[in-house]
Amino acid sequence: MAIISREQIVEGLVKILGKDQVITDEKVLKESSLDRYRKYEQVCEVYTQPIPAAVVNVMSAEEVSEVLKFANENEINVVPRTGHSAIEGGLETALKDSVVIDGSGMNKVLKVDTYNMQVTCQCGVPLQALDDMLREQGYTTGHSPQSKPLAQMGGLVATRSIGQFSTLYGGIEDMIVGLEAVFPNGKICRIKNIPRRAAGPDIRHIICGNEGAICFITEVTMKLFKWQPENNRYIGYKLDDQYMKLGFDCLREVMVAGYRPSFARLYDAADANMHFSGWLEEGKAILIWMAEGPANITPAIEAGIKEMMSKHPELEEVNPALIEKWYEGLNWGPEQIAEEAEEIKATQNIGITTEVSGSWDNIYEIYKTSCDRILAEVPDMTLMGGHSSHSYINGTNMYFVYYYNIVDCAPEEEINKYHDRINQIICEQVIKYGGSIVHHHGLGKARAKYVTQEYGSSYYMLKTLKQAFDPNGIMNMGTLIPLRK
Amino acid sequence: MRILGCFKAVPALDLLREEDWVADDSLRVDTEYVKLEWNCFDEGALEMMRKLSDLSEGLNVVFELDALTVGGKKADSFLKILYALGFSHAVRVESEEGAYTPPELLAELIAAYIQKKAEAYDVVVTGVQSADASHGKTPYLLAEMLQWPCISQVTGMEPAKGGCLKVTSQTGRGEKVQIVRPPCVLAVGNAPCAYLRVPTLKDKMRLGNRPIEYVDPGVLLSDAGAFADRIETLLALCPVDRSRDTVRIESGSPEEKAKVYYEQYLKGRLLKL
Ligand SMILES: Cc1cc2nc3c(=O)[nH]c(=O)nc-3n(C[C@H](O)[C@H](O)[C@H](O)COP(=O)(O)OP(=O)(O)OC[C@H]3O[C@@H](n4cnc5c(N)ncnc54)[C@H](O)[C@@H]3O)c2cc1C
Repeated sequence: MAIISREQIVEGLVKILGKDQVITDEKVLKESSLDRYRKYEQVCEVYTQPIPAAVVNVMSAEEVSEVLKFANENEINVVPRTGHSAIEGGLETALKDSVVIDGSGMNKVLKVDTYNMQVTCQCGVPLQALDDMLREQGYTTGHSPQSKPLAQMGGLVATRSIGQFSTLYGGIEDMIVGLEAVFPNGKICRIKNIPRRAAGPDIRHIICGNEGAICFITEVTMKLFKWQPENNRYIGYKLDDQYMKLGFDCLREVMVAGYRPSFARLYDAADANMHFSGWLEEGKAILIWMAEGPANITPAIEAGIKEMMSKHPELEEVNPALIEKWYEGLNWGPEQIAEEAEEIKATQNIGITTEVSGSWDNIYEIYKTSCDRILAEVPDMTLMGGHSSHSYINGTNMYFVYYYNIVDCAPEEEINKYHDRINQIICEQVIKYGGSIVHHHGLGKARAKYVTQEYGSSYYMLKTLKQAFDPNGIMNMGTLIPLRK
Repeated sequence: MRILGCFKAVPALDLLREEDWVADDSLRVDTEYVKLEWNCFDEGALEMMRKLSDLSEGLNVVFELDALTVGGKKADSFLKILYALGFSHAVRVESEEGAYTPPELLAELIAAYIQKKAEAYDVVVTGVQSADASHGKTPYLLAEMLQWPCISQVTGMEPAKGGCLKVTSQTGRGEKVQIVRPPCVLAVGNAPCAYLRVPTLKDKMRLGNRPIEYVDPGVLLSDAGAFADRIETLLALCPVDRSRDTVRIESGSPEEKAKVYYEQYLKGRLLKL
């Protein structure tokens, strides 16, 4: 915790950045003390976390360096931030008098290099703006998380995010080329842009996924791909919910056969009903693929998948146009967030998600036993379901979706009574069956308490990294590694 | 007090892509891929009914809530939700999925259902209009057919003494509060709470699967069998020509232009008045 007073922190920051870049407005500070992990508290405007001393807007790597040096010398906890769309408590200011370092002002696209197929941008570039600009020129980053209209490059790399087309393009870890980041002692490091190298460990992965707990990311270079939506093919099947195990097997079959669709999804009936109730009967699960790429490849992927699926009498093909139209409306922007807040206030009904991953041989057990336990152990549930949306040769993810009514419960109690309880059940089942408790949202502070179970003996490596780069413990404390109470 | 809530499940038009707002060969916008949702005014109305029932706890009055919709099979999931929320009886007057039912016919079907029911309803609650057709006529036509008074733009209902209801509504001149003795039709407008509460999965399992009463519309209408003929089909759309000629008075000072304008264009019209 800081060794100087709140006032001295603000004074010091003003000296470095000037008054205009140091925000101390009470409302801004309160809203900067949390993220969507405490969605209910956010909606009720109840703030239980320590309110930060300031939010600073940084405009260059040099400014970040100066701010970090100041924080490091005075043991001030800092929380890096860009798009503010985090959902696992990564943005919570867990210690008194923290400083939020906001990089959203660093929003320049520095270079679009279509010959080497890579784009370099600052950490505050919104992904939506970047990809829209690229698509106009016939290119794409291939990254399309549901939070595309909200998230920015720094946060996307910091959380090891993943997009809807990951089965083809991979997660962000497969897309990043080079990076620039600033460490707590003020050191600015650049990792150069090259297609591959074997010069020691891949140090990009110290930065990617650090969740602001090791360094501040200032610049990102991403790969480019050709944008050719005219070749897209959509494939969909409905099946009875009781055949979810078969659904996972179908996803596996396609991956194992060597196909690389961009989109591969399996929704259980509860989740499917929220998306497809216009045409999908109640009680039906749904399997969806999308093939992207050159014109001679996508029809082949479509034909291959269809041929494999035709062997399963439990599946019934659906009109691909319905899938195409649906997927375009999948992303969430500020409008949906605002509407959701109104709905929560009015109904006291809230929806949360938890994403995990597992191998092909345990994902169904993880899914089934988690759902069963939650329904049996947690009160006031109004929906329990989920989908698999990112498949790999050796397994897939499970994105649990659950809603509950908040009954007789103060806003500050909601997290204990419902959200954490559900998270706990899911994490316990995942650990029991051998999956990962976090597929793409990051550990944040919400699931940091399970980090030793998640890492096992390799926790030594994570802890050593943290201690080596952040010996004074100033980087987003409580994230990745839980605070000692 | 027996209250019948009438609602419609409508396509969530905000999920429709911009490029899909085009009429097909039969002059309809295809909304098949978007999910159905409660018509917004009806959702507020149904929640208001539930709140009214909550408010009656401890009072010497029981509100029995029933729900009715005219629609296809997809509406059943909405009726099941209402069962799970404690509604006593759910009715679907069967019509083809997505078929357009004109407000006159809709009102006639609801009125006939109410009149044929052995146990009389005291109040009918509807939304003021639906999001898909937006006629805003059904509650008034229904009230006329039932020969009941109608209050529109209702924003609140509370239990009142002597089997009455305290009804708040918005009028051109502000808010109006009336003590109403049923029977009456209440058309809910901008309800303070536009969202219906969500039933728990346990309630859905416990209450949601009670049988829905399916009613053949032909049985309700006086001229049986005429239902299908009266479902209106849009045959053509003719845009109203609102184009006008424009003349630019080019030369001269503003005074001269004004003079030309008066002499050539305005004077004649004024004389005609
Ligand atoms: C509606 C919705 C849908 C979502 N869908 C997806 C999805 O499909 N896929 C997915 O992967 N995620 C998803 N998320 C989660 C979230 O959008 C991602 O984690 C995203 O990567 C966060 O980016 P951001 O710019 O908003 O980061 P922030 O919210 O600002 O920060 C997120 C984390 O990164 C750290 N951080 C931020 N900037 C930096 C920086 N410059 N340097 C170091 N650390 C930094 C923060 O300290 C914090 O721990 C979703 C979130 C929402 C609200």
